[in-house]
Amino acid sequence: MEAIWLYQFRLIVIGDSTVGKSCLIRRFTEGRFAQVSDPTVGVDFFSRLVEIEPGKRIKLQIWDTAGQERFRSITRAYYRNSVGGLLLFDITNRRSFQNVHDWLEEARSHVQPHSIVFLLVGHKCDLEPQRQVTRQEAEKLAGAYGMRYVETSARDAINVEHAFTELTRDIFQLVRSGDITIQEGWEGVKSGFVPNVVHSSEEVTKSDRRCLC
Amino acid sequence: MEKAYNVSSPPAFCVGANEKGNSSTYVTQPLSHGTAEAAARISKHVSRDATGCSDSRELGEAREDIGRSTVLVTDSPSGGTVSNCVIPEQGCDSATNGFTVSTMVGAKAGNSSAVAAVNREEMDGNALQRISLAEKNKESSAEEVDACHPPLNFVTAAETVESLTHSCNGQLELSCTAASRTVPEGLSNWDTDSVIQSTLSSDAVIRPPINWSMTPDKEAKMANGGLFIGHSSAKLHTETVVTIILDGAATCLSNTQCEKPSSIAMSAREGHHESCNIRVEPDGAGAQPRTQANIAGDLSGGATSNLTSQGLPSSPAPTKDPCRVTAKPDTIQGEEPSASGHLGDDLSSRPHPQALRTRTVPNSVSYDSTILSPGDEDGETFAELGTQGHSDRRFMDVSLSSRNTFESSRRQSAPGDIPEGLSVVSADPSELALQSKRPGIAEYFGRSLFPKKQREPKGPSQNVPGWKLFGKVPARESAPKDSRTIQQESTPDGLTSVSTPNLLSAGEFEARVGKAGPGGTSAGTSPTQPQQGRRKNLEFEPLSTTALILEDRPANLPAKSVEEAQRHRQEYDEMVAEAKKRELKEAQRKRKEMKERFKQEESIANAMVVWNNDILPNWENTRNTRRVRELWWQGLPPNVRGKVWSLAIGNELNITPELYEIFLSRAKERWRSFSETGSETEADDGASLADRESSLDLIKLDISRTFPPLFIFQKGGPYHDLLHSVLGAYTCYRPDVGYVQGMSFIAAVLILNLEEADAFIAFANLLNKPCQLAFFRVDHDLMLKYFAAFEVFFEENLPRLFNHFQSSNLTPDLYLIDWIFTLYSKSLPLDVACRVWDVFCRDGEEFLFRTGLGILRLYEDVLLQLDFIRSAQFLTRLPEDIGSDRLFACIAAAPMLNGNRKWSQVFHALIKDNKDMDRNCNPALKSL
Repeated sequence: MEAIWLYQFRLIVIGDSTVGKSCLIRRFTEGRFAQVSDPTVGVDFFSRLVEIEPGKRIKLQIWDTAGQERFRSITRAYYRNSVGGLLLFDITNRRSFQNVHDWLEEARSHVQPHSIVFLLVGHKCDLEPQRQVTRQEAEKLAGAYGMRYVETSARDAINVEHAFTELTRDIFQLVRSGDITIQEGWEGVKSGFVPNVVHSSEEVTKSDRRCLC
Repeated sequence: MEKAYNVSSPPAFCVGANEKGNSSTYVTQPLSHGTAEAAARISKHVSRDATGCSDSRELGEAREDIGRSTVLVTDSPSGGTVSNCVIPEQGCDSATNGFTVSTMVGAKAGNSSAVAAVNREEMDGNALQRISLAEKNKESSAEEVDACHPPLNFVTAAETVESLTHSCNGQLELSCTAASRTVPEGLSNWDTDSVIQSTLSSDAVIRPPINWSMTPDKEAKMANGGLFIGHSSAKLHTETVVTIILDGAATCLSNTQCEKPSSIAMSAREGHHESCNIRVEPDGAGAQPRTQANIAGDLSGGATSNLTSQGLPSSPAPTKDPCRVTAKPDTIQGEEPSASGHLGDDLSSRPHPQALRTRTVPNSVSYDSTILSPGDEDGETFAELGTQGHSDRRFMDVSLSSRNTFESSRRQSAPGDIPEGLSVVSADPSELALQSKRPGIAEYFGRSLFPKKQREPKGPSQNVPGWKLFGKVPARESAPKDSRTIQQESTPDGLTSVSTPNLLSAGEFEARVGKAGPGGTSAGTSPTQPQQGRRKNLEFEPLSTTALILEDRPANLPAKSVEEAQRHRQEYDEMVAEAKKRELKEAQRKRKEMKERFKQEESIANAMVVWNNDILPNWENTRNTRRVRELWWQGLPPNVRGKVWSLAIGNELNITPELYEIFLSRAKERWRSFSETGSETEADDGASLADRESSLDLIKLDISRTFPPLFIFQKGGPYHDLLHSVLGAYTCYRPDVGYVQGMSFIAAVLILNLEEADAFIAFANLLNKPCQLAFFRVDHDLMLKYFAAFEVFFEENLPRLFNHFQSSNLTPDLYLIDWIFTLYSKSLPLDVACRVWDVFCRDGEEFLFRTGLGILRLYEDVLLQLDFIRSAQFLTRLPEDIGSDRLFACIAAAPMLNGNRKWSQVFHALIKDNKDMDRNCNPALKSL
């Protein structure tokens, strides 16, 4: 019997509050844009299947964290068991970009002894006229930390799929090459040889449909 | 209870729907799946269409529809108008159609070949099949039917043919063709004649224009078909509903009764309220608002159709079904002058009298009652309909409503003089039964379909302007306006009488007209007749076609045999008896429900008195008495809630309203300077300043994210500024704590229950409690102690779930943080959250964790089946239908005892332990 998903990756989404973390994830997992959403208190959970190559599906378990600085002492506990992360800033909010460095330091110091593959995301790219962070400087910053950079918009569904699948592919390559290994007691990557038929089948169709568009 | 019932125009099955441009009418066919049995049944009771509805076809293209459509409008020679009728709309067609078809089949049995033929031509495969079945059965059951229900048959046949002929403007060709083809095949002379006659006589008028009018939206819907079917099967009568829709001019008729207030109102599209009368009335004790939307339409195109006009001589009360079509006059006429031409003249767009007077019947039993019809069949039918998909569902809803409307209108409006004792319905069992039936269906839908619909609104077609069931249209406002408008419209001037019995054969019709007097006559022949005449005419109509079976046949048909007549009578009586029984049962249930509701309200009222008179004046002495604590556990009455919270939370900080004003003005000053400088320029200032500024910024953003569905805290909402003030003042009052996400929910709940300054005082004192202080300062070590203490009680109370969570590494912080930070106000429905707050104020922090255990207990079975991510998702997004009684029962079943140790003992013991110890207790949090 073929596994429904090959691996499960746990991703964590971080960034200042109100940069649009929850909206980005909802767009990705639910396919819709919520005009208003509750502020995230603590952590929120999402999941979706992604097909990175024909027949190769990865289950993404996405942890959405509270962005307010006050909550960092709580959310930093969640880095350790994550294999990937999306670090968001709001391209119309310069300060959120300036805080990217802090976020990375925070993450790196709490992820030991594991490591996290990060993707830098400039969010709200539909608000081009209000842009305060240029693509060049964001790319430069990302390059300095060895990250990819993607600009997304949850409202207009720009690059949302792309951002998650790129990150997933990168992680997959590292897993395949042995740079990342599955370890007992670590939740970052899990092997999916026990398919979860009930839930996964619907998710598969969902994600397939989305991939077409 | 209303004694008088209204006589309405009896129309038949009409429904106007409008679709885009072409379209919309169809008649159709669906009989049941064609089982012989079904067919037989159908034929037996003419009108029932058992499962017919279930197979609907898809409505997809207009063309298809047309092909199938049967309905229609014919011009009557007199210049007047015509008959018409059935038009279901796409989604609905199946139901409606089914109905029609079945009728036809049954009715026509022998003669129906013509019809069948037509259908064959026009319909799709399904229809064909069904028809053929019917034909097969013809001999057995069909004949019977035929014999019994001549009038009906007649009409049907006639209608069918007619409709084919004229289908719509654009589609004339098609229809015609069909008709002509048909004739050769099946129609005998006799049949033909009847058709013709019927055409002449039929008075139902539906305006084709309506159907065809190009309405931009396809949304119009109508229908009664679904309902009908249900009924008819049960009762044998045909009720009809009509509706209509037109494009901009949509109007609706409906009377909805919903259990949920929100779903109550059916509104017509805006602008068209005129014809709609929507009202919400409290039911009985006022516990549950009941709404009825009545819409009367009249329409210009108006039309109205009468299905039956048969007086029932001896039989119990005849029922009449009013049919109402609403259309917008202007629209229709304007758009399609030619089409509506004669009709327009004749018909005035004016509501029927009955329609005009819509009222709610407060406590009537019959409303609540269930469907009479044989249960199984109804169930089947409905179920199937339900599964058909959105459009169908929508359709059903509509039908429901329309039906109710009729009913209500019928009941409410009492014709001045009703011949043949029609008006005295209450005494008549059959009538009662009928009435009761309708609501039943409505209820059925209300229960199962509405919610579904509500939850997943899809597709544009679902939001039919005219039929918007759940929109935000303010029902109360619209009601008065509507009625006014309607009344105005009803003024006599251009009135026309449109309705004539369309079921009758010509001979019958004439006879009837004679009986009816001038009014009747005029209705048929003289279009310009004043309204009065029309009304009178209407009054003569039986209230429904239910007892049709008991009627003698028209003169031009062979008479029923004695046994047959007798058997029909018997069957009819049985049905009525059954219906009555059901109604009684239903009424009993309702009464019980009402009683409970009443009791609940009474207990709230009593509790309020006790709190106000006995407890609050002696707060310090009574607050810890057992009686008060018990009363407290039941939930505080809303109007003493704020007061009790304030008293229970206390004011250790000694904050005065003046102090609040001081902090508030400070906050305002800060906002002012903040907005002047702008947030970006602050970036270089010290971290603390930046943090503070950003928290001001954050407050602004979070306020609009606080209870968004309530629309009161958002910008422009009534409590927006209040919430802003309280939070801003707090950040000035406690800069060491500042604003932390989650606080806005707590402040909002307090603002909902207290005055501004009191809310602030309660807020500040509440956040000063040890548990809240630990959380809002994000004192992580202390938080971990709380989680550890929680786990102790978790394991004690729910060992299986505890182990399950342990094995999947689901630690309590993942869900408790959200729950505790917002005191459940974000996670639980607001009313439930308030009840949790009540006891939280009584018992303190311990109750927050106990509530958490209650939630876990409540959903233990579900959670045991879920893996990590699903459990986490479940707990961070609890079901919305969580009921406070069930939850509190679970909370009560979760004693906070660990051996002999209480919460505080466990917690303090943990605090004393050294850190390593803590970490061992919380392996999952070790890393922190």
